[in-house]
Amino acid sequence: MQPFHAKKDEPSVPDVDAQPLGEERDHLALIADMTKEFGAANDYKAVAHTALERITKYVGAEAASLFLLSDAGDMLVCVACYGPVDITGLNIPAATGVVGRCVISRKGLMVRDVSQDGDFGAAVDEKTGFTTRSLLVAPLAIGKECLGAIEIINRAGGDGLFSGEDLLLLETLARAAALAINNFRLTHKIVQQERDRHELDLAAEIQRDLLPQPSTRDFPIHGINIPARSVSGDFFDILTLPDGRIWFNVADVSGKGMNAALLMAKTSSLFRCLAKSAEHPGQLLNAINNELCETNSHGMFVTMVGGLFDPTIGVVRLANAGHEPPLLFDARTERFTSVPADAPPLGIAQDIAGQDGFPVRELYLAGGTLYVFTDGLTEATTFGGGMLGIDGVRALIRDHADQSPDLRLKSIAGAVKLPGQSLRDDLTLLVVEDMAIAPMGAKPPNASLETPADEQIVRIRVPARADRLKLIRAATEQAARFVDAPEAWTFDLKMAVDEACQNIVRHAYKGREDAGDIVIDFMRRGGALEIDIMDFADPVDPDTIRPRDITEVRPGGLGVHLIKSVCDEAKFVTPPPGVGNLFKLTKRLPTKVS
Amino acid sequence: MSYEVKNVNGAAVVALTGDVDLQTSPTVRQKLLESLELHTCIVVDLSAVNYIDSSGVASLVEAFQVSRKKGTTFSLASVSSAAMRVLSLARLDKVFTIHPSVEAALSAQG
Repeated sequence: MQPFHAKKDEPSVPDVDAQPLGEERDHLALIADMTKEFGAANDYKAVAHTALERITKYVGAEAASLFLLSDAGDMLVCVACYGPVDITGLNIPAATGVVGRCVISRKGLMVRDVSQDGDFGAAVDEKTGFTTRSLLVAPLAIGKECLGAIEIINRAGGDGLFSGEDLLLLETLARAAALAINNFRLTHKIVQQERDRHELDLAAEIQRDLLPQPSTRDFPIHGINIPARSVSGDFFDILTLPDGRIWFNVADVSGKGMNAALLMAKTSSLFRCLAKSAEHPGQLLNAINNELCETNSHGMFVTMVGGLFDPTIGVVRLANAGHEPPLLFDARTERFTSVPADAPPLGIAQDIAGQDGFPVRELYLAGGTLYVFTDGLTEATTFGGGMLGIDGVRALIRDHADQSPDLRLKSIAGAVKLPGQSLRDDLTLLVVEDMAIAPMGAKPPNASLETPADEQIVRIRVPARADRLKLIRAATEQAARFVDAPEAWTFDLKMAVDEACQNIVRHAYKGREDAGDIVIDFMRRGGALEIDIMDFADPVDPDTIRPRDITEVRPGGLGVHLIKSVCDEAKFVTPPPGVGNLFKLTKRLPTKVS
Repeated sequence: MSYEVKNVNGAAVVALTGDVDLQTSPTVRQKLLESLELHTCIVVDLSAVNYIDSSGVASLVEAFQVSRKKGTTFSLASVSSAAMRVLSLARLDKVFTIHPSVEAALSAQG
């Protein structure tokens, strides 16, 4: 290597054109300058072009080119060149030619006469009309990796032969170029990742907007969604109809990440749009299924529980397409009822349901709370490290039953979401509260049996049979007359008591001939008549849950509706020992007009 | 509860008297469905109904649905205030065709 002769006031790179060949050349100045340029480059291709030009002129050659391995590593692509022929974009198989040999060996090569080199491929020359005589090739190596190679073609002056010194110079410059290219690629990758992350954040934000706003305290349905990643494949929705009924759903799209998020967005739009015209959840899920099947591909599907809640009568009608079974919990009895899936997930096959759509179940909440959730909850990891499982879910629901719905959702989700850690799967949980009959779990047992009624009017005990209902109505009429209630008021009360007792005959005792008794206490308390209706059957459960033909008129549902329409309060309360169920009706007496 | 089925110019007039409840509604249901088999026009006279419960209302709704499927006519006539109270609470007063009297119901059929 020649000593460094450049002075400070001279240009750092010698004017190569002006310099006679064979004279002292300032290698160090060139290397220092070009390394700096490569290092500062934002676009290595532009710098590469300038560098090739300078090195070509510096060694007195005719042309130079820079080849990089393709992403797949099977081709060498010319990304920059200098010389009479522009071969930028030229592809050659990676394992061929002198350049290929250099890349594989990661060593610089000097070919003084290409006609004597078996590896030299003349195809490019034939195409371009250029004649290659001699070659100098240096690898773009970083450690054990080789990105490509730089070649210089045909030394022009002197003896026309490249020297070992030329090769050493080219190898040095190639190392600097390799570092620059590698840096550029890394930076580019980070920028791309940053951009992807930003777009994912935007998608997550839009997705969060698709979820309903948090419900107010007095609203019966509340939900929570915690994505495992920034975007979620889970979702829930709540939609109130003008008549007061409320549509809700909880769904889980197969898979995670962006594709699941997109299918989620589509399904949630379909739900919102189609719910407005659907008559019942079976019909709605059927319509969503058919829409999804028309366009869905890639074998993705959606599990969904879709429900329609009538808060005035506390009845939920729901359809379950392959989703985790919702749980109905009665805090008074601590009993759970599971509502299994009756149909496959959505998006798998068109027209799988009959004309009426997916099967619909009708649930009378009767003071209980319905929990609908995704497998992100059941399959969540607990603090102990195990999987929560359905028993774990039940325990969490039981433990937090006395909290407000909003707090309860957070408590349950908080029990499986470890601080600072992400979930294994998206988690969605929704509760439907029976506001008409407030859950009794947190309240003390029925007080009316501990404290004497203001005035006991009459107590009757009759066998729970249809042919005794007329007697019950007569007793109710007499009790109402006893407190001077007007005729219309009396009629409504008679109907409410009759419907409540009818439910005992039909549902609690299930119409059995050997059914037990019904005990009815008529009491005046303050300005109201209170009627405690007791039976000795098993706790009414969610045996009120039964599949039902959609076209059927709902005697049960209608009865409850009639009761609630005419009473100020109608609710199950904790029965005293030995009593199966206690249903309490309260109806305020009209204020007397003088 | 008692009932009477009369044939008036090809139409069946089913008159119910008393309480239609869980005990008696199966009979009402059966009589209505039988009449639907034989007649293309059914008028249910509810003037003497003192009480009707949800199961009685369900029988009326079922008969109404059957008649719609068959394309025959089904109407209620002279609905007592007790029956009307229950029908309106059930929001069925706008669903059924209700005439002030049996005569009005029959003449409406032409």
